[in-house]
Amino acid sequence: MSGNPLDKRYAVLGAMLIAPTVLVFCAVIVYPLVSALYLSLFTIFTPTLRGSFVGLGNYAYLVNSPEFWRSLWNTLLWTICTLALQIVFGVAAALMLHQNIVFRSLARSLILFPYFVSTVVAVLVWRWLFNDLYGVMNHLMLMAGLIKMPLDWLGSMPNAMISIILVGAWKYFPFVVIAVLARLQTIPDALYEAAKIDGAGAWSRFVDITLPQLRDVLVVVVLLRAIWDFKEFDLIYLLTGGGPIIATQTLPLMVYKDAFGLNDMGRASAVAVSMMLVMLSFMVLYLKLAGRDERESQR
Amino acid sequence: MSKTISQPGHGVSRRAVLAGMGAAGSMAAAGTMPTPAEAQTVTLRWWSPQTAPAQREAYNFQIQTFEAANPGVKVNFEATSDEGYPAQMAAAFASGQVPNVVTHLPSFAVSSYWQNGLLEPFNDVINMIGPQNFFEGANRIYEVAPGQYAGTGIGGSAANMMWLRTDLMREAGLTTPRTWDQLRAACQRLQRAPVFGAPLPYARNSMTSLIFISFVHGAGGSIFTPDLQVNVDNDAFRNALEFYKSMREFCPPGATNYSWGDSLTAFVSGATATGIYTGRVLANVTQQNPRIADFVTCQPYPTISTSVPHWTFNDFPSVMIPKGAPNLDITKRFAAHLFRADGYIRQLHAAPGHVLPVLKTVYESAAYQENALIKKYAADVQIMSQQASAGHNLGWETVRHKPNTKAGQIIASHVFAEAVQRYVGANEPMAQVVSGVARRLDELMRA
Repeated sequence: MSGNPLDKRYAVLGAMLIAPTVLVFCAVIVYPLVSALYLSLFTIFTPTLRGSFVGLGNYAYLVNSPEFWRSLWNTLLWTICTLALQIVFGVAAALMLHQNIVFRSLARSLILFPYFVSTVVAVLVWRWLFNDLYGVMNHLMLMAGLIKMPLDWLGSMPNAMISIILVGAWKYFPFVVIAVLARLQTIPDALYEAAKIDGAGAWSRFVDITLPQLRDVLVVVVLLRAIWDFKEFDLIYLLTGGGPIIATQTLPLMVYKDAFGLNDMGRASAVAVSMMLVMLSFMVLYLKLAGRDERESQR
Repeated sequence: MSKTISQPGHGVSRRAVLAGMGAAGSMAAAGTMPTPAEAQTVTLRWWSPQTAPAQREAYNFQIQTFEAANPGVKVNFEATSDEGYPAQMAAAFASGQVPNVVTHLPSFAVSSYWQNGLLEPFNDVINMIGPQNFFEGANRIYEVAPGQYAGTGIGGSAANMMWLRTDLMREAGLTTPRTWDQLRAACQRLQRAPVFGAPLPYARNSMTSLIFISFVHGAGGSIFTPDLQVNVDNDAFRNALEFYKSMREFCPPGATNYSWGDSLTAFVSGATATGIYTGRVLANVTQQNPRIADFVTCQPYPTISTSVPHWTFNDFPSVMIPKGAPNLDITKRFAAHLFRADGYIRQLHAAPGHVLPVLKTVYESAAYQENALIKKYAADVQIMSQQASAGHNLGWETVRHKPNTKAGQIIASHVFAEAVQRYVGANEPMAQVVSGVARRLDELMRA
């Protein structure tokens, strides 16, 4: 078997054909990952990249660091809340845009606007809207008599966390719209017609037909958006900078502060590796649960 | 058998063509295939966080005159920011892709980078500019060893000047406050909807940290002892926190998120009766709110009592050359060119009073003094110049202090801004806040 020259040539050819993929994978996945793990074992002054080996010292520091645990909590809170709103708004908007409404094409285009606009521009607009002296939000609420003094949207808690969650939901819900709308268009009308004949109301049709049909796409959307939201940096950094104190500081902001503010690349790498492990744990758990649900629904 | 691409008179194999294309591509990618333009052009990169449109125009003039005098040299300006420069500089040093010249970063950044071997010596540039042209002692903060300079100042700044509205003061029958009590009383009288008393920042950023440091000095204290031991567990530090807290009721609700731009805009727009900023107020008021332009003036920020002298925060905007910057000779010439009178004066006039000259020859020149704003606000500019020349920052708290090369990291850690937020916003006990600051400062100094 091993002596067959044709098999050998095929084996070599196979290795050669797969080699580019393996090389690219190593360059863009394995190397950065191993680098991050390696760096996290050192204390490193960022500008010079010189440092000394500390073993698991950085991880021990993080375990005992209230800042790390608070940042992790903030990251989870932000991810879960903004993701939940994205899904709710995204599915609702997709259902609306799936109906025969006037200017449907225009509405479908416009609803994507927040997703396409640059984060910096979006944040500038929102900071302007939230401004205590000239912001539209405070102005309208003052005019309506809802408040007597302008609200501090970004500088006090819980307002700051609520604000970033809302802006995050606004910015990224169009991604859900795109995915869900595409799936909605492939659900056979016959299912709805049959349900109507059986006397199902609108809510029943949504719960018993639409949602199960959307299940697969929502699993993927939730997975992707959870990953992206978990490592969101620019939107939060530009809106609150992690403040007040560290009330909205998420792990990516902590990585940035450690790496470039405090010039400690080793500790920043340890935070980044911890972040990856947390994310990985949640993803494995999520996929297991999603897989179990699917198996149960198929029984 | 290889096919050939037929051309009149030539027969070239496809393999040869592909090989040639591959080789050409490789050479181009490796940068070994010079084009006529590249062969002659030297490109310099200039970084600065001072990027207001008028300043950019002045920079463009300086770049054009340098390029005209040095054919084949091209200068690219790249913006950084007061909050973002540590990250950008760290990334540049780590990657080896450093800019040629960096301007307007605070002096303590120069000390820190020099200490870590990240800067080129700057003596040659100072000699090109002419050491005798500088104000006495202007380069002292950059003298890292006797006779050895790590950079130089491109200007001075008086960052915590108190700005006042004379019209509102007159209406309220107030005189210029000298002490914190008087300032509080004035703010109380001046605060009438929709005008707030002051635009102090309470955010988690460098401005809050820098303003708080100035309050500690305004209370007669310092963050470190002259030999750089942590010195925050004392009355001066506590009084500074108390004062900061007591001013909260006179500041807009959104001050918890204010940075330099927000604070400036609050005063310039007329939303607050007092301000705290550099001389940039003059240009902004004139351009953006001329209605109040005749009614603004500045004074050094009050202190806890008349016996405590004013302490002005001067970040000593610097010029430095990162280690490893390519084309060092031309880079040094460009750094010196930034001080050539015609361009330097344009740069200073771009924001009169904001960046103050370090060259006495320029300050005394008619060309500098001929600016409409400098003439109109001559008394204010003079006060700011005096304050800036006697100014200090966390990297050099007083003349008795050793240079603190950890100042940049301390500011970036937000330890002071967080202390303000903990005490003012979160109402944490004073003792807890002070001990927390002491512990973190100690960690940062030992790191």
